[in-house]
Amino acid sequence: MKIDWPAPVREYVSRAFMADNAIPGIDAAAVSAKLKAVITDAAERECLHTLDWPTYPLPQQIIQMEKANAAGANMATQTWANVAAIAHNGVQSSPPLKRKSLDTDMTDAANTKLPPWRQKKPGAGLADRIDKDQVERTEKRQKKVKDFRSTAPPSKLSDLEKRRQRFENGTSSPKSPYFSSSRDDSPMPDANDGPVVGTCQKLEKNYFRLTAPPKPETVRPLPILREALQLVIKKWAQEHHYGYTCDQFKSMRQDLTVQHIKNDFTVRVYETHARVALEQGDLGEYNQCQTQLRALYKQKLGGHPEEFVAYRILYFIHTCNRTSLNDVLADLTPADKQHEAVKHALDVRSSLATGNYHRFFRLFNDCPNMGGYLMDKFIDRERLAAMASICKSYKPDVKVSFLTSELAFDDDQQCAQFLCENGGEALFENKDDGLRYLTGKAGLIFETAKQKAFRGVDIKAIIFGSLSRRKAIQPASLPPRMKRGKTVGSKRYELPNGARKMA
Amino acid sequence: MESIISAFVRAFQSESGYDLAAVFTPIAPKHDSGRLYSFHRSTNAYSVQTDVRYALTELHMPKGESNAWVEVFVAYWKAVGEVLAAEEALNIGKNQGKSSAESADWPKVYDAWKDVLNAMHRGYSTNYFEAWTIPCLYVSGKYLRVFAIKADETLAKRKGGVAFNAGFEDDVADGEGNTEKLEDAARQINRIFSLCISDRAPLAESRKWGLYYITNLLFKTYFKLNSVSLSKNILRSLQASATDMPPLSAFPKSHQVTFNYYCGVIHFLDENYTKAEEHLTAAYNQSLASATRNVQLILTYLIPTRLLTSHVLPTPALLKPYARLQRLFAPLCTCIKRGDLGGFDAALQAGEDEFVKRRIYLTLERGRDVCLRNLFRRVYVAGGFEAPKEGQPDGERVRRSRVPVAEFGAALRVGGEKEIEGDEVECLIANLIYKNLLKGYISRAHAMVVLNKKGAFPGTGV
Repeated sequence: MKIDWPAPVREYVSRAFMADNAIPGIDAAAVSAKLKAVITDAAERECLHTLDWPTYPLPQQIIQMEKANAAGANMATQTWANVAAIAHNGVQSSPPLKRKSLDTDMTDAANTKLPPWRQKKPGAGLADRIDKDQVERTEKRQKKVKDFRSTAPPSKLSDLEKRRQRFENGTSSPKSPYFSSSRDDSPMPDANDGPVVGTCQKLEKNYFRLTAPPKPETVRPLPILREALQLVIKKWAQEHHYGYTCDQFKSMRQDLTVQHIKNDFTVRVYETHARVALEQGDLGEYNQCQTQLRALYKQKLGGHPEEFVAYRILYFIHTCNRTSLNDVLADLTPADKQHEAVKHALDVRSSLATGNYHRFFRLFNDCPNMGGYLMDKFIDRERLAAMASICKSYKPDVKVSFLTSELAFDDDQQCAQFLCENGGEALFENKDDGLRYLTGKAGLIFETAKQKAFRGVDIKAIIFGSLSRRKAIQPASLPPRMKRGKTVGSKRYELPNGARKMA
Repeated sequence: MESIISAFVRAFQSESGYDLAAVFTPIAPKHDSGRLYSFHRSTNAYSVQTDVRYALTELHMPKGESNAWVEVFVAYWKAVGEVLAAEEALNIGKNQGKSSAESADWPKVYDAWKDVLNAMHRGYSTNYFEAWTIPCLYVSGKYLRVFAIKADETLAKRKGGVAFNAGFEDDVADGEGNTEKLEDAARQINRIFSLCISDRAPLAESRKWGLYYITNLLFKTYFKLNSVSLSKNILRSLQASATDMPPLSAFPKSHQVTFNYYCGVIHFLDENYTKAEEHLTAAYNQSLASATRNVQLILTYLIPTRLLTSHVLPTPALLKPYARLQRLFAPLCTCIKRGDLGGFDAALQAGEDEFVKRRIYLTLERGRDVCLRNLFRRVYVAGGFEAPKEGQPDGERVRRSRVPVAEFGAALRVGGEKEIEGDEVECLIANLIYKNLLKGYISRAHAMVVLNKKGAFPGTGV
């Protein structure tokens, strides 16, 4: 078949062989082979007429980039940006499938530069996401699809897909520079090499602990993560399914980490996860978020640092962690202390420290934000402590209604039940003016109950403490139980690194 | 080369561990301030090994031992090179107004010094080095810690803020703070600790004699790293091998005092005040009166401890020589004595930053109970005596033992507690009774506090 080459293509060919454009180290044979590949490629995509040939990289330039790529896998992303930037104009004819975002984030920008066929399974992603009954977004997307159809025949979508697969199968078809880094046999980038740029377009993703660097196509870029967060929050509000929600948050956190995204959105993800965990009473997960948030707040990325400082104080009260409590106090600025929530938490702390249960229970009734969920965790224990005090000092008895109000119970019934549950059932007495409690005869009932309650916390505090500890120092004398988690942490990475060296 | 080798030979022949250790310091001795420089200039990386080997022949050591010392010398020579380079950079930087962390390459110095420590460690683990030379381990550990702190400062400057998580961890931030090198130093010193504690040689020639010095160094490092809890592991291993160790009293006084101090503080932070008092008192009694810094450090913890265990306040005479302690404690003590709650709160708040920094805030805060007790005691004393019963001699008058809750409430309001209600007053009294600071009970029906006729306020004479 005789093809009538358009003029820009012919000019492109002649430029490719011009002595001025020759690059030392790349011979004419390689250039002509590459040239052939480029033009065939363009013809296959039927964009011979639409490609911006005058600015399209010359074959020798493409070869040079490929070489640079091969030289260092970690340079891949960067080179990509270059290739993509140069090729950008030429690609205009097939408009990007990707939704535009007003965000001018680094990751985002890099992403927009990617040619559409680089993005993982555009068709599949689209279908997947239409499933999410996000009407508003679907409309937007349909508009995009329309735009797409107006400039390119719809069949091209599947053609592109086929073509992509052919390349991925690594057949004899000419190797395009655009695929060298996504090929499976390319050396795995080390985690230290730099951020991954995600291309995954799905909103939901299950969490898996990484044991090797993630593939870009499994990682969601920032704009998708933003939507994902909205979705998860919405689902949480509707369904309250904690297992699912926590899993989604963990995968989001992972995606943020591997892409080195650290901004106000990161803070939002962690804050939201922390709040959800609090609501659910999952203190382990809450504590992880809290630790991360502390580091993020230090970089002044926004969010609600005071609210979380307050939680932090309450949390350490719960775990009876004096050392950490002291650290928190040391970190507080005078401005922090003026904040309502922080002030409340500090008051809670000092009321407990001075044994002022009266004030403590007033503060419990009046807790800002979600601190109540944390205080719930230690309220019963403090009730027992207060009872131990009351029983030792009040004689011969007190009204149950007095206990109800002092210990912040909703009604006498609840109060009485609490007393019974803790072994004090024999001490009620009915008198003319109402139910009374014989505190003078309680002896050590509540003292014992109190000590038992606090012992339980100590153990928990040790476990949580060791979990939240950074993998700092491993003295030889550390018991093996505590050591295990830490060594696993560092050993896990030996495999990919070692494998890389061999490759 | 000459002077350093001859110092080594002299120390070796006289078997003086501390003199030997003085050879391997990264700071030139006063009497020979150019020693490091001339040592480093006297040879080069290529021939340092043969030069040292040759110089050591006069000691006629067994081959293995001499090889081990040569290794130490070679590592030391390299480290000295880095130290000198750092010092030079420091001088240049000073002229440009840069800080130490900016101008010198401390991480490099740290790594070089770590090699010195490793060479030492090998010498001992292969049993070539005798036990009398252990001060060499002290020196290597001591300066490793110093360089680690400087290296971390440099690294923090370079990185600027929190680093990105290096592995494939799930979370964004990589722990907290920049203490990578110091953490490593802690690990290395811990290796020395194991080296000493695992020595099975008879006590006379055992490395166990180095244990307390190394322990103290570890404590110091852990405290700096804010991981005091790790110190407890060390204490546990010491306890476990207590039977085959020389008693603490057989160690040098300086080791004893430091060890007791840290032990006391560890127990203090653990709220184990009786133990804390024991150790701190021992440290206080043994420390040199002239070591004012040490005495002040000990007292910083001993005073709050005594306040809690036996409600004893320091006398003005005790605080007088130490301006800092006086500033810290004098206002609080006055308020506690007077039962001035408002003043106590103000003083606690005024000193909060300093107290928190020294980790005594939470303990001092409990002094409020004592303060409150003193206030209530004044109410009790002011309440006067019961009307004498018939036939009772004048000398045995009984104090009024039934005091209305409202009177205590009034006292609190006089002391500045403005919005205090009846139930809260009772709560405070209940708390004192619970803590055995006050003997008696509350009768809610009569809104009265019924105090014991004898010893209503234990330990205060009434």
